[in-house]
Amino acid sequence: MKRGEMVFIKEDTICMCCNFKEIFYVVLAIHFFDFRIRAASAFKGSSALGAGVLHASRSLHTSQQSLAPLPPLPEKGGKVRYGLIPEEFFQFLYPKTGVTGPYMLGTGLLTYLLSKEIYVINHETVAAASIGIIIIYGIKKYGPSVAAFIDKLNEEKVAKAQEVKDTAMKCLDQAVQNEKKEQWRVDGRHMLFDAKRNNVAMLLEINFRERLHMVTNEVKKRLDYQIDVQNLKKRMEQEHMINWVEKNVVRSITPQQEKESIAKCISDLKILAKATQARATV
Amino acid sequence: MMLNFFDQFASQSLLGIPLIAIAMLVPWLLFPSPYKRWLNNRLITFQYWFISRATNQLMLPLNINAHKWALILVALLLFLITLNLLGLLPYTFTPTTQLSMNMALAVPLWLATVLIGMRNQPTHSMAHLLPEGTPTLLIPILIIIETISLFIRPLALGVRLTANLTAGHLLIQLISTATFVMLSFMPTIAMLTFIVLALLTLLEIAVAMIQAYVFVLLLSLYLQENV
Repeated sequence: MKRGEMVFIKEDTICMCCNFKEIFYVVLAIHFFDFRIRAASAFKGSSALGAGVLHASRSLHTSQQSLAPLPPLPEKGGKVRYGLIPEEFFQFLYPKTGVTGPYMLGTGLLTYLLSKEIYVINHETVAAASIGIIIIYGIKKYGPSVAAFIDKLNEEKVAKAQEVKDTAMKCLDQAVQNEKKEQWRVDGRHMLFDAKRNNVAMLLEINFRERLHMVTNEVKKRLDYQIDVQNLKKRMEQEHMINWVEKNVVRSITPQQEKESIAKCISDLKILAKATQARATV
Repeated sequence: MMLNFFDQFASQSLLGIPLIAIAMLVPWLLFPSPYKRWLNNRLITFQYWFISRATNQLMLPLNINAHKWALILVALLLFLITLNLLGLLPYTFTPTTQLSMNMALAVPLWLATVLIGMRNQPTHSMAHLLPEGTPTLLIPILIIIETISLFIRPLALGVRLTANLTAGHLLIQLISTATFVMLSFMPTIAMLTFIVLALLTLLEIAVAMIQAYVFVLLLSLYLQENV
């Protein structure tokens, strides 16, 4: 038996044994099926083992088929009854012996072994019973939860890859939406340009008006200056004239006139004083 | 065929072929190697998860130089756990009950750790012979004691595993014999003894796993000291 063949039957049978119950079935399978695999390459078309023959015939790596992708693994392991005996055995015996056939075979075999003392009951049987009870109890109680845990490990692996794919798709969707939004923005570009044009025109207008205002102010300042100069001139002329008139008048008052005016003032004052005294006594 | 209690511990040979070789190699068949698929079946996923957790746990306290030992330590762990647990099945032979095999595992690995320590950092590994903070007067005596304890280590490793497993198997045999013998004339006592046997089997399952783990853990500890 070549190593390749051994590996394939081992792998193929492992494919079918997905739960702990069937582990040692592997060892049995190696003994039961190896002689068939040796002849498998001789009759590839036989469907005695189905998938096993197909896999075994690919093991020689001679044809182009060895480069083709492998067929998918079955989802669940092979069905077993009582954790030990595969369903195929019951199906195999069904046409000839019906439903009770395998059970009769089992019972008969057991009775034969016990009665002929081919299998002797001794202390090992008791030990076998105790460990058998513990194993069966353990598998029944913790089997589903362990299987669920392992399935969860696989699912997490798939979920991680799925998440990568989903994130990539979401990013691409987002990119498409962004692109569409940019296109919509581009459609409104004339509004943008109008607004900008208005802004520029307003700025120019403001600038013009500022300069106009500045020019007006400057011109007004010049004219105000001229007015002030004229006013100043008039005022100075007035003052000068007043001063000249006053000076001449004061100069023209002679001393004689001054004495006369003072005597008249005194006599006026006396009269006034008398008048006032008279009014006061009355 | 009448079974002697110690027949299970004698190394069997059939037609001159020592069967211990087959007993040691068959467990390899129970560990399928992962095939070229992204998602494997439950057995391989579980195996992968268990091995990665075990490696992580073992290598956590060790520095980077000791990580070279990861493969051999985890392989040893798996080997011992499988041999021990398979030995609990009826009519099986447990190779780890043979002192020769356990010493053959313990002595070379322990010696390897000591030699690695002596070769790469002799001062540091010599320093392990004297614990810190000992009073000066006790130093000579303590060095001698520590040297003796150093040389007893492989002996202890091998004998611990052998003794635990042999004792467990022997107890199972004795109690199951007692149950079997009492079944005919004192069935109730036999039932009680059977309950004892069931509890003992549970203990033996635990012991099988723990002893394998302890073996490997102590080796990793010796490695940690020396590397």
